[in-house]
Amino acid sequence: MKTLYAILILFSFLAGSYAYANDQLVVVVNKNNPIEKMNKSEVIDLFMGKYVAFPNGEKATPVEMEGENLTKQAFYEQLVGMSLSRINAYWSRIRFSGRTRSSIQQNNEDDLMVYINNTESAIGYIPRSKVTDDVKVVFELNE
Amino acid sequence: MNKSGLIIRLAVVVVFTAICAGVVITQLFNRITYLNELALSEQKIQQLHNTVFATASIATYLQDEELIQEVINGLNSNDIVQNAQIYTDWDTDHTITKPANSTVFALYSPFEVTRKVGALIITPNVEHIKERAEQIGRDNTIVLALQASIVSFITLIVAYFVITKPILRIGHGLHHIEPGNRDRVKLPEYHTESELGLLVSDINSLLDKAEQQIEQERALRSEVELLEKRFRMLFENSTAPIVLMEPKGNILLYNNAFLGLVNKLNIPFKKNFGSYLKHLFLDEKLLDNTVQAAFNNDETATGEFKLHSNNSDITVWVQAVITSTVTNDYKEYYQVTLHDISKRKQQLEILDHKANYDQLTQLFNRHAAEIKIQGFIDKRQPFALLLLDLNDFKPINDIYGHDAGDEILIHVTGQLTASLRKQDILSRWGGDEFVILLPNVTPDIVDKIAIKLYDKASKSYFLKEHDKSVGVTLSIGVSFFPDDKETLHTLVKGADQAMYEIKRNKVTHPEIYIKHYANLSHKLI
Repeated sequence: MKTLYAILILFSFLAGSYAYANDQLVVVVNKNNPIEKMNKSEVIDLFMGKYVAFPNGEKATPVEMEGENLTKQAFYEQLVGMSLSRINAYWSRIRFSGRTRSSIQQNNEDDLMVYINNTESAIGYIPRSKVTDDVKVVFELNE
Repeated sequence: MNKSGLIIRLAVVVVFTAICAGVVITQLFNRITYLNELALSEQKIQQLHNTVFATASIATYLQDEELIQEVINGLNSNDIVQNAQIYTDWDTDHTITKPANSTVFALYSPFEVTRKVGALIITPNVEHIKERAEQIGRDNTIVLALQASIVSFITLIVAYFVITKPILRIGHGLHHIEPGNRDRVKLPEYHTESELGLLVSDINSLLDKAEQQIEQERALRSEVELLEKRFRMLFENSTAPIVLMEPKGNILLYNNAFLGLVNKLNIPFKKNFGSYLKHLFLDEKLLDNTVQAAFNNDETATGEFKLHSNNSDITVWVQAVITSTVTNDYKEYYQVTLHDISKRKQQLEILDHKANYDQLTQLFNRHAAEIKIQGFIDKRQPFALLLLDLNDFKPINDIYGHDAGDEILIHVTGQLTASLRKQDILSRWGGDEFVILLPNVTPDIVDKIAIKLYDKASKSYFLKEHDKSVGVTLSIGVSFFPDDKETLHTLVKGADQAMYEIKRNKVTHPEIYIKHYANLSHKLI
């Protein structure tokens, strides 16, 4: 049974990452944002609600796509090694102390890109292939 | 109850052991309980940490005071926790010293396992743990005490009924048993195979042996008693007086015969009559010599001795047998046995008398007289020998019979005896002849005595049966020793010759009745 599960999981990974087989996820900010580089912890702190500001003190607004999609799934998987359901559970848990999910939810990838282009404090994640001159890559997620 | 009785001792030992063991075990148990509780509390704290770990990590990661407080409140609500603290800025080289006994758990970011975000410090409530341990200890002590009490009580009860009571019963039974009779110790119930049963059967077999031995001894004793009785009978009923004494003369044992002898001798009974009863003997010296001579040769002393007598009528002769006995323990005893030989002695005396005395006149007979005379001759003692012959005796004998003759002879004897001195010896030589020995006399004295004899003997005698007075006269011949003759025979012969001369001349000279042999010889010459 265990072997069977392992094979199934392997297949689902292959299937999920298919579209981004050669597409690395990157964390991007508005091109006007003074931040040039971020480390993994700084990215985590922003996306997991620890901080609501960039290391330089400027307000940060994390943005991501609504619902559950492969990119989101891959992002959290690669960032903190957690499934989306666990991420959701995390948020549910801390909701009792009055904290809510700080990220702005966008309907699709295009809206997401627009939001980042228009919002100086925005920070989001996209496949490398979608990177434009309007955004600045501050962190690269490793597979 | 006996102070050093088994059950008391057992009770003391059991109770003492129970208390000591109880105290030690309780102490040990308390210590172990405390340590266990401490370990348990650590484990519980670990578990608490596990429970709150995720929340605590998140709270610390987010530095969410509310969430942190929630976690801390949750932890503090446990009674084993004295204090819980979360440090969001805790690091390994943190300067804050952690409280004693407390456990520090590092808190990591929920998203990065290597990123330390703070620390959770939980201080256990040692007082509470101690209290709990003590409570457990107390409960345990009570349980232990209860258990010890029950076990002790049961042990003592069982020991009493299984050991002490049977032993007491055995002892009681034994107390009333006399060795040698048929009583035996009863086997206690349910102890047939136990050590007590073994003890009882051993005791009983010992009693069997004792009985056997006593029975044997009893039989032996009765045998000895019978023997002793027989010996005693022999001793008591012996007609010969038997006396056992110490060498110094203290009488240890005597029989009735001895008592009878002493009574017979009219001597008061004493506990000591001298060594080998010598004070009873007339001739102690002779006895001493006899005994010493025999004892020196390791022999039994025997001899015939005459005893003292305070009763003049009784003369007792005994054959004394005196034995010296040395016992196994080197004590010396003398045994004196006396055999009464008085009768034999008396018979001998009678025989002796018969041999030497004339039956009719009780004077010395010729045989005795000859011995006496020879005695004088042997000792060279001078004397005069008178031969007397009764004249006219034969006719009296013929006319009036022998009885009359005997009467005359007795009469004459009396008359002659009355005329003589004490030292003179009168004897009947035979028939109507008498011989008189007069020691140390001169012819003149002889003549005087002869006149006296003649006068006395010539007195007439009245024969009652025949109503007749008769008389005899004497013819007397004399010879002197050593002047006339030297031997008995010649002396008698000389006196006889002189007397014959008188008889011959009497017809012509009726007054002549005595003739000295010297004169005769002279005349013959």
